[in-house]
Amino acid sequence: MSTRRVNRTRSVVWFLAPFAALLAVWAVVVAATGVPMRIFPQVTDVVRALVTMTASGELFAHVGASLRRVLIGAVLAVVTALPFGVALGASPRLSAFFAPLLRFSVALAGIAWIPIATLWLGYGDGAVIFIVWNAMFFALAYNTLLGVRRIPVPLLRAARSMGTGRVRMFWEVLLPGALPSVVTGLRIGLGYGWRGLVAAEIIATSAGLGYALFLAQKTFSTDVIIASMVIIGVLWLVMDRLLLAPLERRTVQRWGMTAGVS
Amino acid sequence: MTAPGAPVWRRLARSATARTLGPFVPVVALWWLLAWLQIFPPAFFVGPDVVLAELGGLLERGILPGYLSDSLTRLWYGVLFGLLIGLPLGFLVGMSPLARRLTWPLLLFFQAVADIAWLPIVIVWFGFSLTAVTFVIVYTIVFPLVLSIVAGIEQVPPELVRAARSMGASPLRVFVEVIVPGSLPSVASGVRTGLGYGWRALVAAEIIVGTSGIGFMMFDARRVGDVAEVFLGMIVLGILWYALDALMLAPFEHATVERWGLVRQEAAAR
Amino acid sequence: MRALQIENLHKTYIDSYSADEVVAIGDVSFDVAEGEFVSVLGPSGCGKTTVLNIVAGFVEQTSGSVTVAGTPVRGPGPDRGVVFQNHALFPWKTVLGNVTFGLRMRGVAKAEREATAAEYLRLVGLTGFEHRYPHELSGGMQQRLGVARVLANEPAVMLMDEPFASIDAQTRRRLQEDLTRIFQERRPTVFFVTHDVDEAVFLSDRVVVLTGRPSRVHEVVAVDLPRPRDWRSTGELPRFRELRNRITDLLAADDESDEAHAVADPA
Repeated sequence: MSTRRVNRTRSVVWFLAPFAALLAVWAVVVAATGVPMRIFPQVTDVVRALVTMTASGELFAHVGASLRRVLIGAVLAVVTALPFGVALGASPRLSAFFAPLLRFSVALAGIAWIPIATLWLGYGDGAVIFIVWNAMFFALAYNTLLGVRRIPVPLLRAARSMGTGRVRMFWEVLLPGALPSVVTGLRIGLGYGWRGLVAAEIIATSAGLGYALFLAQKTFSTDVIIASMVIIGVLWLVMDRLLLAPLERRTVQRWGMTAGVS
Repeated sequence: MTAPGAPVWRRLARSATARTLGPFVPVVALWWLLAWLQIFPPAFFVGPDVVLAELGGLLERGILPGYLSDSLTRLWYGVLFGLLIGLPLGFLVGMSPLARRLTWPLLLFFQAVADIAWLPIVIVWFGFSLTAVTFVIVYTIVFPLVLSIVAGIEQVPPELVRAARSMGASPLRVFVEVIVPGSLPSVASGVRTGLGYGWRALVAAEIIVGTSGIGFMMFDARRVGDVAEVFLGMIVLGILWYALDALMLAPFEHATVERWGLVRQEAAAR
Repeated sequence: MRALQIENLHKTYIDSYSADEVVAIGDVSFDVAEGEFVSVLGPSGCGKTTVLNIVAGFVEQTSGSVTVAGTPVRGPGPDRGVVFQNHALFPWKTVLGNVTFGLRMRGVAKAEREATAAEYLRLVGLTGFEHRYPHELSGGMQQRLGVARVLANEPAVMLMDEPFASIDAQTRRRLQEDLTRIFQERRPTVFFVTHDVDEAVFLSDRVVVLTGRPSRVHEVVAVDLPRPRDWRSTGELPRFRELRNRITDLLAADDESDEAHAVADPA
């Protein structure tokens, strides 16, 4: 229907307009005040930096390194935290015991581990992946535990009275039942993981977006700094929109369960 | 009040403090055991006794209190300015459809640019200073706060607004009497999330900016290979966060959300 | 003067999904005299709540007029108190805080507010619960509070939007009896929306029966049952059953013509 297409175009315009306005203000203010590039770059400088970084392949190397670390860390976190969280949540005793520990650990997770991670694993990929894993693990495990505990008792009884075994119970009842909370945990955890990644890359590696930022800061290349920041923002939005939002839509919303506020 | 006949130890075991702290006892014991068995080399892993001795030393030399107060000062300024900016901005964006249309995409984008990624440019602007660190903490607090406030305003049941209007409340009164209290639970969780991020940003900033503070202390210790001091730093950070949460955030939630019997989501970990 | 006058009310809206125009209210006219209890009854989805929302000023009509005590309705106002189906009590205010809300908005002094509140809380049987929060009350008590909150404001018309629909059957009967007693004592003007025929007949002086969408006034049935009423005696009266059956037939006839319509026109 054409009215719908018109609506769609209109909402895209409304979404992009503020960015256009921001860029315009930026360009005008920098031109009018004449701040030097070593303090604040002009819009065109940033675009040029992006083009140069893309042409030299530097950008893909950094983005690739960062994404690879996030991916490995996230997969490790999901594989370890989900079974752990479900196992703890399934037992009231274990969950009562571990909940305060996990909460404590969530507060500490991620960046605070950078010194010890680099001490244990040296500067490099290992430490960064450890930070991403660590930042996600506790948030994910804790929220999974909460999610399992929040499954209505009648649901568990119904499953048990239909003769559901332990393994099937995990896949068919506990995991899907805890999903709204798991998705929340994933969102929070990935948020911490992403920040942890940037911080760890600034401190502890020689590749990745964080490192690009660090290097550019040493030489006061504000154009490269801003370009890298834009890339970091866009990448996160892409991850959020293409990974987390569809996951939430397909499970939690589809099943009519409300997700926790994240 | 417990029954007077109950044994003291049982009363102690049931208290909230014991239930919260209890789980840490076996963990510390396990930690001690691991260190004592020397499963990991002592250069990488030390026991609680060594960390305790380190604590004594650092307290005696006045280093820890100094760094601690530096960190807390930064956090305090960050939180203060974060709230001063975030609260009005959040309610403005939440209440005004125009403001929301204009700022929403930007908010989403700036929220996406991880706060820590601002550190390099902020250092270029302000040097290695308190302003640089404060800037980053303010940044981390403002965005989650604004997004939560907007979500909170959306969650206020429209019927409550209608009820207030039909009892003669002016738009301003509706805002004060209905919108603000109705969105408080969400505001509280926004403050919590923001503080959680701000706390991490502080540690990262102290490591990277590196002049003082607990983050700096830990990284400095790492550079000279003093594991005990790194462990100590982590424990101090954890305890501080716990205290902040238990003494300030939790009582606030208790006074509002629980008392009013609003649907309360068991706090997701922040 | 009529307390509430509704003339040729018409409401259409654009369905946000299909972008089609939907007629919610075709043409509705009726009025409510001062101190009269009038129920609006109709098949589900017929737009009776929309009529109430227009009277309350929450929704604007497409055409037609609504006047309350001679003045045309413009937005929500304290002259029309609303009792909501799900209570809409302020969770962060105590029972007292909820009852005095309207008075506070009008700038009534504290002592007077509390005296008025005490009076209306006694009327609905909530004395002694002043300092409780709404979530500490049962569903029935919450709705009594909803009624007290509106009455304390002394509106020209009390609008009630299926107020007992979410309350269990036994409590509902008690609340209906309480409401008819309060009406007897105070004689407020009440505009009551419901889909429960028994409830409408039991409470009302007149019942406005609406047709299905787009709704029109099918018939206005005068309820000539003696007051005071209670379920034990009023419910047993032959006249009560007669009225109830008559209205049930009216609604059923409308249902059938609806179905016939649907078969004849399969679009």
